[in-house]
Amino acid sequence: MIELEIQRRGAGRPLLLLHGLQTISPRAPFLDLLGRHAEVIAPSHPGFGGSPRPEDFDSIYDLVHLYLELLEGLPDRVTLVGLSFGGWLAAELAVTCSHRLDRLVLVDALGIKIGDRESRDILDIFNTSPAEVRRRSWHDANAWALDFDAMSDDELVRYHRNREALCLYGWHPCLYNPQLRRWLPRITVPTLVLWGASDGVVSPAYGRHYAELIPGARFELIERAGHHPEIEQPATLADRIGAFLKE
Amino acid sequence: MQAWYLNENPYPFVPPDVLERADSVRASLPNRYCDPRVAADLFQEALDEYLLCDDIGINVVSNEHHSGINCLFGASPLILGILARQTSRVRILSLGTLVTVRQDPVRVAEEYATADVISRGRLEIGFVKSGGTEMASGNMNPVGNVERFWEAIDLILKALTHQEGPFSWEGKHYTHRHVNIWPRPWQQPHPPLWAATGDPETSAELGRRGMVNVLVFRGAEETVRAWTAYRKARAEAGMPAPGPDRFGYAAFVYTGDTDEEGVRVGSKLLWFLNTGLKSAPQYTKFLPGQTRPELAPPLYRTSPAPGSGNVRAAVGRAAAALVGIDAEQAMARGLLFAGNPDTVCRQIREFQAKVGPFEHLVLASRSGFMTHAEAVKGLKLFAKEVLPRLPE
Repeated sequence: MIELEIQRRGAGRPLLLLHGLQTISPRAPFLDLLGRHAEVIAPSHPGFGGSPRPEDFDSIYDLVHLYLELLEGLPDRVTLVGLSFGGWLAAELAVTCSHRLDRLVLVDALGIKIGDRESRDILDIFNTSPAEVRRRSWHDANAWALDFDAMSDDELVRYHRNREALCLYGWHPCLYNPQLRRWLPRITVPTLVLWGASDGVVSPAYGRHYAELIPGARFELIERAGHHPEIEQPATLADRIGAFLKE
Repeated sequence: MQAWYLNENPYPFVPPDVLERADSVRASLPNRYCDPRVAADLFQEALDEYLLCDDIGINVVSNEHHSGINCLFGASPLILGILARQTSRVRILSLGTLVTVRQDPVRVAEEYATADVISRGRLEIGFVKSGGTEMASGNMNPVGNVERFWEAIDLILKALTHQEGPFSWEGKHYTHRHVNIWPRPWQQPHPPLWAATGDPETSAELGRRGMVNVLVFRGAEETVRAWTAYRKARAEAGMPAPGPDRFGYAAFVYTGDTDEEGVRVGSKLLWFLNTGLKSAPQYTKFLPGQTRPELAPPLYRTSPAPGSGNVRAAVGRAAAALVGIDAEQAMARGLLFAGNPDTVCRQIREFQAKVGPFEHLVLASRSGFMTHAEAVKGLKLFAKEVLPRLPE
């Protein structure tokens, strides 16, 4: 058994929300807003936040199989929403078990290689200067970028722990699976791909391409948002997902 | 005492304003600032210094770092090949090949065995863990580096010692279907093993393995802490107490005719700390895997948080604390031994009195803008006037 820290909101149809580079703050308005449309189940991946990481657990393969087990254990088909790194996991899961899903939503997802060998699709967030990562992560960095000086020790420990886990899982190749792209056509559930219009970690062009590889997927931009629409535009993002659930 | 000469072969001739503007002098500084003609001169001078050491009885040390002004030796085995052939008497220490940023430790084992054979058994093998900038230039995951370090050492050791045909290795970090290196090493069962570390946990493991523990620019306090862990681990494992030959210390060392000359020229070595360490935060304090999360909060803060206690970060701060250090401070901390022969002798003895007996003294005796002629003079004086007076 693998223990997971899980946040829950709302009621109704189950929605599994997979977080991105960082875990989702329990104070995030997005959780409550999304909870108006579904029963939100938001785990922290092993090694992130308060979820321990088993010693032999160190690859995307492990995360995917953990969530496959979780999906198969739920009584009904589930809406799967993945943000950024969690979008990569969601795409992997959808390729493998579309039959357990009723909807898929990818938000500024990582995980595939599109450009040529000398063009980077995904910002190397580990080896790029913090100032540049900040600049490329937000539509309005001054309003939304983390203020480390204002964070508590616990929050900073969590932040650092999240970075360490992300690096373990995603260092090489840098935040993608070379094989995933060729299998995206296997996804058979209705899919919505949402993208921050100002995302400089993975560009909207990358997002469009991602959507084109998934049969029938729809691509929409979220204006005035960078790589984290759940933080910069939580109401818009929750509403778009809510509307998609009603279709 | 055994003396070992180390010249990291830095490339200091980058315009100061470029270095000032650069966020890092390692990993990301464009190599257009490296003039290969200047680099060639530096290589020739460094190799000449090593040949001088062969004549005057100072052993030689080859190290490696990647993609930066601090060290042009990007591949220790390459330099070992030259030293193995061109020297004839002294011992040759690799300190070391950065095994955790090599894809295949078996290649490293083969290269080491080759150098040992060419030198007819004069190689010593040292391991170092690699730093954050090396994870970028070496393309290797900074998380799990220490685990990879030990697995690489285990695989190299088995490759060096296994003589019965191919063996397979299916470890966590390395897999190899068919390991069977030729030549096997000259020294049996294998060349002596060293590792550079000041981390007590790593020192404890070195103790259990009986490897030489060398501390590089760490000062007395950290040295005592590491060697205490080394001795304790052996005692706990029921192993005999280690002799002084299991311990080494690396310092900046310069011997002049007078104290004034020794300190004036020796101060040039501090370039390594004041300029050569400058690294961007994404390669150091913010790089995952370098600092345990519970120690991380101070790394992120521009000032200590009220009531955040005395949590001290292990990485980043330590190196940052050395930037800007002057000769007086460096000498007081046992990082620099400099002066006339009497003074250098006294400083080394005093340092030994603080940390306990150690047999190996690594002389970082050329760095920064120190000239070849200055380095040669300092080495000759050390060999003639200091080394014979140091304890056996």
